[in-house]
Amino acid sequence: MGKIMLSTQDTAIIPREWYNVVPDLPKQLPPPVDRDEKNSSIQLLNQILPKTILKQEFTFQRYTKIPEEVQEIYAQIGRPTPLFRAHGLEKALDYHGKILIKYEGATITGSHKINTAIPQAFYARDEGSTGVVTETGAGQWGTATTVAASLAGITSKIFMVKVSFNQKPLRKEIMELYGGEIVPSPSMETEFGRQLLAKVPEHPGTLGIAISEAVEYALEHDLKYMLGSVFNSVLTHQSVIGLESEKQLEILGEEPDVMIGCVGGGSNFGGFVFPLMKKFKETKIFASTASEVPKFTKGEYKYDYVDTAKTLPSIKMYTLGSDFVPEKIYAGGLRYHGAAPSISMLVNSGRIKSSDVTEDQVIDALKLFARTQGIVAAPESGHAIATAIEYVKANRDSKETILVNVSGHGLLDMSIFQR
Amino acid sequence: MAFLTCQFSRGEILLKPLILYFTADYPSTEILKSFLEAVDPDVVKYVEIGIPESNPLYDGPTIKATHSLALKNYKPNHLAEYTGILGRKGIPAFALSYYEKFNKLGSGYATFLKDAGFSGVIIPDLLTDYSEESDRIIPEIEEIFSFIPFFNPATPDGLINAVSSLTGSWIYYGLQPSTGIDIPFDLEEVSRRILDLLPGREINFGFGIRTTGQIGEILSLGSSGVAIGSLLVQYLNDKDLEGFRKFQESVKEVCASAE
Ligand SMILES: Cc1ncc(COP(=O)(O)O)c(C=O)c1O
Repeated sequence: MGKIMLSTQDTAIIPREWYNVVPDLPKQLPPPVDRDEKNSSIQLLNQILPKTILKQEFTFQRYTKIPEEVQEIYAQIGRPTPLFRAHGLEKALDYHGKILIKYEGATITGSHKINTAIPQAFYARDEGSTGVVTETGAGQWGTATTVAASLAGITSKIFMVKVSFNQKPLRKEIMELYGGEIVPSPSMETEFGRQLLAKVPEHPGTLGIAISEAVEYALEHDLKYMLGSVFNSVLTHQSVIGLESEKQLEILGEEPDVMIGCVGGGSNFGGFVFPLMKKFKETKIFASTASEVPKFTKGEYKYDYVDTAKTLPSIKMYTLGSDFVPEKIYAGGLRYHGAAPSISMLVNSGRIKSSDVTEDQVIDALKLFARTQGIVAAPESGHAIATAIEYVKANRDSKETILVNVSGHGLLDMSIFQR
Repeated sequence: MAFLTCQFSRGEILLKPLILYFTADYPSTEILKSFLEAVDPDVVKYVEIGIPESNPLYDGPTIKATHSLALKNYKPNHLAEYTGILGRKGIPAFALSYYEKFNKLGSGYATFLKDAGFSGVIIPDLLTDYSEESDRIIPEIEEIFSFIPFFNPATPDGLINAVSSLTGSWIYYGLQPSTGIDIPFDLEEVSRRILDLLPGREINFGFGIRTTGQIGEILSLGSSGVAIGSLLVQYLNDKDLEGFRKFQESVKEVCASAE
């Protein structure tokens, strides 16, 4: 046991460089494209993103140095996050293999989102921006953004999907405590929001709509837009999850046979599995998604827009359509219609398998995880746990080592249990 | 390093730095012909001719707009007129065509392009969207004429090595994922990567080159040449042959001063 604790406490485990999967993909990543000849949405990225982010978005470099300042903050926000063996869960499932958990809920904001919020806010500040704007579903990304902006000494404005805004009032308070300004989306603050509300006054909102509002607001007010997921640069920042795991596995003397994570836009999943795939080439990989948002199983692999207003470029991904309005599931972070192009490519090629789980399965998984491991995981992460449980049930005698990324805690998402 | 690609100005081995891109039949057959007549063989080594497409997915807004107009004027038999003008100047012409036509017509399409006077073809969407076809189609094309691999910063190292080993031809390296857009990048880093991956190969750079200053910089980093496309569209739109000639002169000067 002592060995396990040691492995999670050492700041020397924090990587000095992020890993970018693009040069190691089996095929060429289809680039973002414009569909409109007159207004280039790729050109628009120049206006709303810090130059450094844009560079990282299109780089072929395998490794990018993490700025010293960001490395230091990574240590302050709880990195490296723990990687431990889930003895309690193994026992409850009567599993004779091993279940290992990488736990991103141990960061100060309670999820992996802070890993990319910090560098994005600092790059925005370094390039002279006074503030950042973004969207949030469940509120995890918004929370990370407000903290990162405050640490960087700039302002933050968050468009929060209305259904989550109503389901999770504490999220708003936390984001305000951190100094952010929060608006439910669709809102009256943007042209796109006003148009939607005129048509559907009770619109529950979607991530696609909130992204459109945030981008419009950033353009109108000369602020920088923060990318929550989907984009390659975000997956690169999130590679700290997999890079740390690699070192922690080495310390523990373990090798995963199976890796499981949940996919909203794909940032925690990509950040977790990509650095590990490089070393563990034969590992089975499962992307867990919500049955209510079955992007990999019912979606199409094609070019589609990132956001509902079609302001941002279209990218090749598995998608349910940029105007898809999902059910009001509690895992707000998984309600996104698409997924990162790199992950989509590998799902399409069969390297990554997908697994849909229902909200009922997720609630059971969250309860079991809380009672056996003491951790209240986020509803999004509950999908990964539920997939792991399904896998164990189907492969009880396999003795495989299963590594699960639990992307966040769910202490502010308790309403899922009052359903 | 720059003198390697700019030796023409010393009257030695003819290693010329410039590749020009035009969309066939844009803005009209006659205007394009007059531009091709004005191409300076002292500085231009190849000309690429884009075959008009209804959806040139990986072209930027400027080139996309040329395709929609060119499509209205386009006649396949014009291609031989263009390559004929270039041939008389000793400048090889390369076709740039999306994969769909190969998909429909197979290698017969390559034969058609060869008969129209082209020395080879660039297929911008092959590795992105049809990479599973590349092992089959590249050798088929190479039987007929040159297949020019088109790579960009998003092409994985493994794919660059595999595809370039299927050909002996020159290589087209896009500095950006699409034409005519400005994604900030570190020119030296981006160039170094491909030059290090494929030592000894002729690599010409394109996509997003806007100024003669950039041309000088790219050549001095060791590329064999630079391809210019979006930058020429304004000259074509204005029928500004004089401006086009001056542009070619200015590239010569860049080379002379880089020496
Ligand atoms: C805890 C948690 N996990 C997962 C996700 C899904 O996002 P991604 O797929 O980008 O990791 C979110 C998004 O809000 C989240 O808050």
